[in-house]
Amino acid sequence: MPYLSYLLDSKITDSSDEVIGRLQDILITPKEGEYVPLQYLVVKTNKDKELVYVPYEYVENLSREEVSLKRLFNKIPLRKDVESGFVYLKRDVLDQQIVDMSGARVVRVNDLRLGNFEGEMSVLGIDVSFKGLLRRLGLGWFDFLNFMKVNLIDWREAQPVHGSLKLDTISKNLNKLHPADLANILEDLSVRHGSKLVKSLDAKSAASVLEEIDPHLQKILVKHLGPDKSADILQHMSVDEIVDLMKMMPKEEARTFLAQLKNTKLKKIQNLIIYPNDTAGGLMIVEFVSVRPNWRVSKAIKEVRKMSETMRSIIYVYVTSDDGYFYGAVSMRWLLLSPKKKMVKDLLKRKFSSTSVLHPDQDIEEVIEVMTKYNLYTAAVVDKGNKLIGVVSIDDVMRHLFPDA
Amino acid sequence: MGVSIGKKWYALKVKLMMFLAVVGPGIIAANADNDAGGITTYSIVGAHFGTKMLWVLLLVTVSLAITQEMGVRIGVVTRQGLAGLIRENFGIKWTAFAMIAMLVANMGTVTAEFAGVASSFSIIGVNKYIAVPLAGLAVWFVLYKGSFKTTQKIFLIFSAFYIVYIINGFIIGPDFGQALEDMFTPTLQYSAPFLITMIALIGTTITPWGQFFIQSYVVDKGLEVKDYKAEKAEVYIGAFITDIVSFFIIICTATTLFKYGIRINDAGDAAIALEPLAGYLAKFLFAFGLFCASMLGAFILPTATAYALCEAFGWESGFNTTWKNGKIFYSIILAMIAIPAVIVLIPKISLVSIMVLSQDVNGILLPFILIFVMKIINNRRIMGEYTNKPVGNVIAWATIIGIIAATATLVFASFFGY
Repeated sequence: MPYLSYLLDSKITDSSDEVIGRLQDILITPKEGEYVPLQYLVVKTNKDKELVYVPYEYVENLSREEVSLKRLFNKIPLRKDVESGFVYLKRDVLDQQIVDMSGARVVRVNDLRLGNFEGEMSVLGIDVSFKGLLRRLGLGWFDFLNFMKVNLIDWREAQPVHGSLKLDTISKNLNKLHPADLANILEDLSVRHGSKLVKSLDAKSAASVLEEIDPHLQKILVKHLGPDKSADILQHMSVDEIVDLMKMMPKEEARTFLAQLKNTKLKKIQNLIIYPNDTAGGLMIVEFVSVRPNWRVSKAIKEVRKMSETMRSIIYVYVTSDDGYFYGAVSMRWLLLSPKKKMVKDLLKRKFSSTSVLHPDQDIEEVIEVMTKYNLYTAAVVDKGNKLIGVVSIDDVMRHLFPDA
Repeated sequence: MGVSIGKKWYALKVKLMMFLAVVGPGIIAANADNDAGGITTYSIVGAHFGTKMLWVLLLVTVSLAITQEMGVRIGVVTRQGLAGLIRENFGIKWTAFAMIAMLVANMGTVTAEFAGVASSFSIIGVNKYIAVPLAGLAVWFVLYKGSFKTTQKIFLIFSAFYIVYIINGFIIGPDFGQALEDMFTPTLQYSAPFLITMIALIGTTITPWGQFFIQSYVVDKGLEVKDYKAEKAEVYIGAFITDIVSFFIIICTATTLFKYGIRINDAGDAAIALEPLAGYLAKFLFAFGLFCASMLGAFILPTATAYALCEAFGWESGFNTTWKNGKIFYSIILAMIAIPAVIVLIPKISLVSIMVLSQDVNGILLPFILIFVMKIINNRRIMGEYTNKPVGNVIAWATIIGIIAATATLVFASFFGY
């Protein structure tokens, strides 16, 4: 079970034991989530100093001690060139960044572990350990007591991020990661690789990942994707996130991005964009569940079910008239515990305190004061006519106070 | 809580941000070049050799502009840091080599920064055994608590203190004619002190870390090829501004110290150069400026080093990683603060020598980093149509060869005792 670093640049002998050249690289065709067999050895010949491709079926032995071929060198059908689509283990994988799916992080490939899988020599693991670094540097003896652990990532668990690999075949796997983990990965990648990764996701997952990353990087990535491509993604992002993003961009640029959005979303954004970031209006989100006072509890729950897909979380439902006049809020818990036949307005039993709502121009300190005083996870924001226009959640406040957390 | 105070503070912050938005990477990197090592080296250049080395400064300014521009170009084209590029294109052994060179140079520079802190406090009578540990703790605390960017900007603004050298320069009325003449007539002395000072002068102006820093900055800001022209101009302006300051530091010390044969043995001697402007306050003014410059470097370098090493070797980095995941990242930063601080605390060690010799280390190691830069920027596979033009290549190679030749001469001169 050799490491690639042991094999590279080692002498290659043919069946007559003549040294014919040195190993330069190894080719494979990667498949998502599978071990794949080695296909070609790239050999620099001693005689002509040229690169030839030796099909792997002619390899007799591939180990640290020797790399030997089954036949006489001149009897092997060599190729001077191969079609594109192969991955070169040294050129494209070694020393490059990969996404470690199991650890949800970006690491660098220090070495590759080869071995037999179902009778075929394949790449089995990726060494990302310090010990791998030492081995590559020829300092493996340094750890002669074997104190250090080799940290191998299963080849099937790893996703190269190098440009020459197609990322669309990979995205299925990446979609399984939590958006927050993916966001962490994105922050570790260079912008070039990062935007490739975003492109490889479907618009919906891309949107939830973008919402998790630091706004500054968000801006860079969206700009790098360009208005056309990012329009799809923006369409799936929540309105308040888009507003924050647009506020960071120069006006002209923001306009080109907004021009790509659907009308309903655009309206909401334009209503929000006028409030400064550190006011209730700037903090609030405009997606919330609103129910009518004369609905029965069962209908209200049905409404929650319908809206649930588009919402980050639902803690309260908001009781309003048809044109948005705000009566009060009912917690999800209270709603679930109440008899199905009861009217929503009867759940608003306590006298509603008009000071427990926010106005869009109140600044962050007043928002915190109100939310702390009334123990609110989310607070309603109403306009002058007491119409409900948005909701500030504790999450939005935290994000504003600790943007880096 | 005082709401109105909060609002005022916010408004002030917004204004400050707008001002700093104009200040780009070129000017930041260039300004940070005038750190403790820089200020001391330039002072010594002037005090010990008068205006004789100004021709070196002129050439170095051109080289600085060219090398920083290359960093910007690689950054916008590849959108990747220098360390990562070296790893991906030269393999592990060359990466280890480049990283060790950078680590040694940066460690030297941080040591110079702490020596700067120690010197500035010794001027106002505070013992280095108190000042240096406190400064080290302050650096760690600020970095760890995450107000790094703001702090960096504050110290950057304070470093504008260098303007006093320019005003001072006009007050003392130096011999500008002589200065200009020396600027265009190269003179060399084959003596170890001259060569040591000359290499330090190069190494403090163009630095290995500056090369990594400018490229990372461009990448982090998400600058693109279309921003390149503006960035190029900014980098040129930055190089020009820094070296104007360096020019004035040199002629100030040349006129006040060199003329009377005063040699610089500690920071207090260098402060004398500011007496024409500030009178008896010169010492305090100098101490303040030296302190700010030192702290700016002490903030930037440990973090920059840790980011570059982690990028090259694939370790997790950033202040938002946990201690467990970011063990190596945090350890590098801690080591980059602790080791230099301990070196500075060695009893009776010459702070001035630390500040100058560390710049020599930078100068001697610079060519190695620049060679990687040259290999990358002339690689069509990496840079596409943005490879170097012949002019850039000639100037960059001349810089590399010039430094190597100077180092070789220095070794030769010190062995055979010219």
